[in-house]
Amino acid sequence: MVDGVTLDVAAGRCLAVVGPNGAGKSTLLRLLAGILPARAGTIDLLGRSLRTWRRRDVARVVGFVPQLFSLTFPLTVRELVDQGRAPHLGPWRPPAEPDRAAVARALERVHLVEQSATGMQNLSGGERQRALLARALASEPRLLLLDEPATALDVRHQLDLVAVLRELLADGVGVVLVVHDWNLALRLADEVLVLDHGVVRASGSPAEILRSTVLSDVFGVSLEVLHTADGTPIVVPVGRANDASPALSLPPRQPGC
Amino acid sequence: MTRWADSLLAASAVAAIIAGLVLAGPAVTPGGAFAWLTGNGDSQVGTILLQVRLPRLALAFAVGAALAMAGAALQALLANPLADPFLLGISGGGAAAATAAFALLPAAALALVPALAMGGAAMATALVWWMARGPLGPSPTRMILAGVAVNAAASAVILTLLAIAPSPRLPGALAITMGSFAAASLPAVGWLLPYLLVPAVLLLHHGRDLGLLAVGEESAAALGVEIAAVRRRVFLAAAALAGGAVAFAGVIGFIGLVTPHLCRLVWGHQPRRLILRVAVAGGALTVLGDLVARRVLAPAELPVGVVTALLGVPFFVALLRRSS
Repeated sequence: MVDGVTLDVAAGRCLAVVGPNGAGKSTLLRLLAGILPARAGTIDLLGRSLRTWRRRDVARVVGFVPQLFSLTFPLTVRELVDQGRAPHLGPWRPPAEPDRAAVARALERVHLVEQSATGMQNLSGGERQRALLARALASEPRLLLLDEPATALDVRHQLDLVAVLRELLADGVGVVLVVHDWNLALRLADEVLVLDHGVVRASGSPAEILRSTVLSDVFGVSLEVLHTADGTPIVVPVGRANDASPALSLPPRQPGC
Repeated sequence: MTRWADSLLAASAVAAIIAGLVLAGPAVTPGGAFAWLTGNGDSQVGTILLQVRLPRLALAFAVGAALAMAGAALQALLANPLADPFLLGISGGGAAAATAAFALLPAAALALVPALAMGGAAMATALVWWMARGPLGPSPTRMILAGVAVNAAASAVILTLLAIAPSPRLPGALAITMGSFAAASLPAVGWLLPYLLVPAVLLLHHGRDLGLLAVGEESAAALGVEIAAVRRRVFLAAAALAGGAVAFAGVIGFIGLVTPHLCRLVWGHQPRRLILRVAVAGGALTVLGDLVARRVLAPAELPVGVVTALLGVPFFVALLRRSS
């Protein structure tokens, strides 16, 4: 259940939603995608209430990357990504050149061109996540909603994901990202929403969130904020809150850092 | 590859129809049929071909196509390779109503049997739908369970009716439960074909949606599928197709189950690609099945459902081998 959430996603801006397990992050994402109906409140897409939109029109504008998917029959990567064009094709029209081009661009962006003929059941978890991202990209959405897009990705592909999302943001696509990895959120987001038990505990820029104690409070952990050489903040949990002996102990900060 | 396969399918369908026309019985020989076609045959051959065999062929093809389409749609909708109209109680409901009508109605009212059969299929469909209801439309698992329950009830009703039916009506009642095209006529075909067209087009309309549903409900919804509406329409269309088939030909099993599997071997799993092709394949298979039913124990006629049931044996054996 999600209650009393107010947020705004503009073109080219990235909103990250963080929170403990069961906070309602995925529910919020599904409400935004129009997959779950909202019992109260309004969701506006491009200035119009989501309730007035037809499902297929929403799908043309909003891309959704789920965390999981089921496979009831064998599907190649290309066939999966082709599905991303469905909102633009309707029930009868076969794919044409612009559709094939959009699919090719999507596959290139996630570096899955060579695996395009591979069956989805033969891919690794990370490759599947990239395929799901490609499917959302194939529909050329203006708003991209991602549910834990990096959980199965290795470090290199996580960086690739950041690069792809940065390109999309630069192209004017709005992004809403549900993540467990705070650092991924902090690296990408213009705004962070901290959700707990379905309620917004804090919202603001990454710097504002880090200056406050909301992450410690909500997650019940004590944190250290470090900085990389270029000043990017990195948040490290060092133990449970009120824990006399922290789980990790870090060397003292060197002078000049 | 697909074009080659499509051509082969079309050619097989044409060959099956021709075989059904000229090989179905001793009254018309291939030579006699050819002679009539070229204008030299006798008019009796023409009468048999046009008034007897052609309607029967058209009925067999239409029923086979309808059952195969219904099976393909249900297998995609329920994500279950064993789904077919028979499993879901639709055929059973229609057959129970038809058997009841045939066994109990006075002779003057027997023309109502097809309509009552469709009513029975519709009631079975509604019952399955109601039993399996949920917030996003009925879930696949619940529909299968409800279907099995309804089918069991329908089988009990049919067996009871067969036990109490007056003996003159028994052969006809048995024909309903085992499938037969003997009641084919031009008016019947003229009624059935347009009726089947509507649900067939509806299934084609939702072919893409079925493919999207197969990768998960949330994905499908995010890609624009109105899940509850699609589930309802596809199920109703499959039920209408199966109801029409049962009403005019009785219960013919395994066409709806096996034909989609055979077609998947060649054309893959995408429902959008399969639906039209299973229709042609199902029609051809049923026409051939009817031909075998008429000739193998000639002059006696086997019920066509017996022949199609024999199709099921190698099918399940092959499935067993593949899964081991």
